[in-house]
Amino acid sequence: MAATTDGTGEHSGPTAPAPPPSAPSDASPPARRPGPVATAVSVFGELLITAGLVLGLFVVYSLWWTNVVADRHADAQADKVRDQWEHQATGPGALDTRDGIGFLHVPAMRNGEVLVEKGTTSKVLNEGVAGYYTDPVRATLPMTGKPGNFSLAAHRDGHGAKFHNIDKLDEGDPIVFETRDDWYVYKVFAILPETSKYNVKVLGQVPKESGRTKAGHYITLTTCTPVYTSRYRYVVWGELVRTEKVDGDRTPPKELR
Amino acid sequence: MYGWIWRHLPGNAWIKALIASVLVLAVVYVLFQYVFPWAEPLLPFNDVTVDNQ
Repeated sequence: MAATTDGTGEHSGPTAPAPPPSAPSDASPPARRPGPVATAVSVFGELLITAGLVLGLFVVYSLWWTNVVADRHADAQADKVRDQWEHQATGPGALDTRDGIGFLHVPAMRNGEVLVEKGTTSKVLNEGVAGYYTDPVRATLPMTGKPGNFSLAAHRDGHGAKFHNIDKLDEGDPIVFETRDDWYVYKVFAILPETSKYNVKVLGQVPKESGRTKAGHYITLTTCTPVYTSRYRYVVWGELVRTEKVDGDRTPPKELR
Repeated sequence: MYGWIWRHLPGNAWIKALIASVLVLAVVYVLFQYVFPWAEPLLPFNDVTVDNQ
């Protein structure tokens, strides 16, 4: 392929008319005019490279940047909730569920505290929190004291990835839910490592698949599995072991020490 | 394509490189701020709930 040199020098005056191809030129090199096929191939190649870079950036965005944004938001929100708890009059007042109802502590996941808010829409979960189900099955909040299922969902990857380490939970591990006035200590008793995303029975007031048949105070954690995909759902069930009153220093129960 | 952009940037190589990096950063910003948040819910990577839909 004969590359023709363009000697018109449209940007740089002192362009030599026909430098050898090896001529090092850090300023503007002499504009070569390849044929239309070569141009098309080169543009196509550059578009492919660009697409690869954009996909790579999307991975960076999903697995890193969304965590940064979500954690920032969740931390601010958690501070707000703690602040409200401190300044509210003690005693059972109207339950404010808008900013978050409490914090989930799962020592086996080693990710500190996770704020729990109402709802499991992506708008809620993308803010780096866990959400309790309102749809398709309404979660029973532990503060009500009624038997039922406190069902929660959070992201496995990105957006805070609050349930990333859900597979580190074993039977017998504690799950502690902290509200303004109480610590609710649950113990994991059943794990369903893979189930269909349509399996809403796992959220039932008595989740039969966990092996329980009687009403009780259950907690259900759901997220997606395998990691980085949403093909199936991972489910962990726990049962309330005891509750502790929060003391003046908010001393955590022994499971968290 | 990129060669064409490079040739049409003004200034010497340093200024071109500077403008080029600004352009790259602008593109990354637009992607992270607008394009990816829009594309993400359309992709099946981040559905964590069980539901009937």
